[in-house]
Amino acid sequence: MSEVKLLVVDENSKLFDTTGMFYKEFDSDFRQIRYYTLLVVQKAPAEIKEINLLEQQISEIIKNAVKHGNKCDPKKKVKVWYYFSVDKAHLIVQDEGEGFKDLEKWNDFNKKRINCFVKQNFDEMDKFVSFKTNQSDDHDSGNAMFAAVEYWNGGVVFNKKKNGIAVLKTFPKKKHGLDMSSL
Amino acid sequence: MELKVRKFSSTYIIDVNGEMDLYNSYKLKELVLKMIEKKIGQFIINLENVDYIDSSGIGALIFICSHIKKINMKLQISNIHGSVKKVIELTKLMGYFPISNSIEEAIAKIEQ
Repeated sequence: MSEVKLLVVDENSKLFDTTGMFYKEFDSDFRQIRYYTLLVVQKAPAEIKEINLLEQQISEIIKNAVKHGNKCDPKKKVKVWYYFSVDKAHLIVQDEGEGFKDLEKWNDFNKKRINCFVKQNFDEMDKFVSFKTNQSDDHDSGNAMFAAVEYWNGGVVFNKKKNGIAVLKTFPKKKHGLDMSSL
Repeated sequence: MELKVRKFSSTYIIDVNGEMDLYNSYKLKELVLKMIEKKIGQFIINLENVDYIDSSGIGALIFICSHIKKINMKLQISNIHGSVKKVIELTKLMGYFPISNSIEEAIAKIEQ
């Protein structure tokens, strides 16, 4: 059975603790999203980049803030806190938008999607492959957060206004040297 | 991202080269729609030379897959690997997308 992972609202989550994290502030320029992402991800050790998977997952969160949060308004900023080590990636992104008002609808939608996946009912799944709202446009794919809740295994948490998101991923520690346990 | 089209028997193979991201993935959708207008009905999207895909790229593949299913045409997506495969797995679309390990396997599935 596939566990259904949820988007959570918890202003007091420890994932919002910015202590010891790096900080950058970006304009809401859609054309620069991948560049902003590279500025953040360059701090990550190669061991956790998984070629470019970490970059891709961070890019989705920055894109949501620039596009859906700030509506690409050049007067609005995106604030990013980040910390990386060989066993952890921690990111907080806050925009100046109205917040993700459809969060509960998204959780319900994702439950139905996972249910189709568990039953391997791909005809029914056709209805749940893209989460669209009345704010979505033709370029919105509506699938980024499906992968995000799976990738960020330490949680995906929103602040009370739902315009700030904190995510954490932990990586298994790599063993170095010889394994002596079997000797 | 660069798109090249070649033909094998009555199947059209679209070789995607480069990164499928938020700035360019719409081009693949547009190309497939144009090909459908020209009554082409058998497609392979070859991702052998794609090392990066984001949700827009996944969205383009969903759109194409869903559209082709509705009009009863045939599609295979071939040679996914690395982080492209990982993103498709995270999005739980491995069973939803018609995936083949190679062009040869894709052709065999389409022409059977």
